[in-house]
Amino acid sequence: MPAPIQVEAIGEHHLYLVLSSAEKLKEHNIAILKSLISGGYQVVVITTNQPAAVLEKLYASRGIDLSRIFFIDAITRYAIGKASGITQNCRFINSPSNLTDLGIAITEVLNRRSAGKACLLFDSISTMLIYIPSINISKFIHFITSKLRLVDATGVFLAVEKGLDPLLLTQLTTYVDIVIDMDAPVSQPGSPGKEVPGPL
Amino acid sequence: MEKKPTEGMKLAILVALAILCIGLEIGIHLFARTAVGYTHIFYLLLVLAGIWYHRLAVWVAVALAAATIPTSLYVGDFGWATLLRGSMFIVVAYVVGTLSAERDRGREQLLQQKQEIEEKHAALIGYISEVALRLKNPVAILRDNLAGIIASLGKDNPDLESARMELTVQVSHADQILVNLQELNKAVVECHEDIPQAYREFLNR
Repeated sequence: MPAPIQVEAIGEHHLYLVLSSAEKLKEHNIAILKSLISGGYQVVVITTNQPAAVLEKLYASRGIDLSRIFFIDAITRYAIGKASGITQNCRFINSPSNLTDLGIAITEVLNRRSAGKACLLFDSISTMLIYIPSINISKFIHFITSKLRLVDATGVFLAVEKGLDPLLLTQLTTYVDIVIDMDAPVSQPGSPGKEVPGPL
Repeated sequence: MEKKPTEGMKLAILVALAILCIGLEIGIHLFARTAVGYTHIFYLLLVLAGIWYHRLAVWVAVALAAATIPTSLYVGDFGWATLLRGSMFIVVAYVVGTLSAERDRGREQLLQQKQEIEEKHAALIGYISEVALRLKNPVAILRDNLAGIIASLGKDNPDLESARMELTVQVSHADQILVNLQELNKAVVECHEDIPQAYREFLNR
C-alpha cells in the first residue's frame, strides 16, 4: 500500500482529515504512521478503537520504530479495566468519553515534546462517535486542531467515510487544511487517494 | 399565497373610508337633507375596522353615531330610526370585532401548535440522525474489527492475549451501542404518546 500522506507536503498542510472505509482503516493507520516516521516525525497515537498494547505489537510486527511513538490510550482502562502489557510510552485515559482528561493528556504530551517534528494521529473520530455526541466531538476536534496549530505540530484525524453526517463532516473539514479520501478513485499512478481541498 | 395588507395600508383604507363617510354625512344628510341609504357605506368602514382592529371598531362606531345624531338634530329628522341606526353601528362593530378577535386568537393558537409540533419533529429527526450516526458506522467498525480478530486467530501462531483484549474492547463498543439504541427508543417513545403502553415498555426495556 502506498504511503497515503506525502511527507514532503506536510510542511504545507498541517492538519489532515483522512477518510477511509472501515475495513481499511487499520491498514491506513499503519501506512500513515510509516510515512510519518520515515519523515522524521515523533508521533502521538490517540487510540479509541484498539488497545495500545495491541497496536504496539501490530506496529512492531510491521517494522515500525516504536521509540518514535507515544500512545494515548482511551479504551484499555474503560474496556479491560486495567492497563497491562505496554511500554512506558503510553498514557491511559479512563474513558473515551472523558474529553477533559484526553485534552489534558494531549496538551501535556505536545508541550513535553522535544525539539523535533511532532504529529498527532487520531484513530479514530468514528469510534469516538460510539461514546460521545457529534457536537462534543466537533468541539473537541476544534480544540485539538487549535492546539496543534499553536504548537506548530501536524495532525492526522482518521474517520470512516460515509459514517459522518454532512454537518459533522463540514465542521471537521473547516478545522483541517486537507481532506483526503483514501477510497476515492486514484487519479495518478502512485497517488494515495483523492485530496479534497479544505478551507485554506 | 395570500397577500396581507400592511398596517399602513389598513390605516390608509380606514382613513379614506372615514373621510368618505364624513363627506356623505355632510353632503347627503346635512345639505341634501336625506337620511336614507348613505349610511350603508358606514358598515363597510365598521366591518373592516372590526376585522383588522377588533373591538376598537366600537370607537369608530361611536364616532359615526356621534356624527349622525347631531346632524339629525340640526336637520330636524331625529327620531327612533336615528337612534336605532346609531345603536346598530355600535352593535355591528362589537359583533364583528369580537368574532374577528376570536378567529385571530384561534389562528394564532393553531400556528403556535403547528410551530411546536414542527420544532418537536425537527428535534426528533435531529436526535434520530445523531443516534443513527452513533449506531450505523460503529456497527460497521465493530464488524470489521471482529473480522480482523477472526483473521488474526486463523494465523499459525495467533496472539491470543491480543485477541482477547481486542474482543473485550469490541464488547465494550457493543455495550455502548446498545445504550445508544436504548436512548433512541426512549426518545421515540417520549415523542409519540399514541404508542401503546405494552410497546412503550418493550422499547424502554
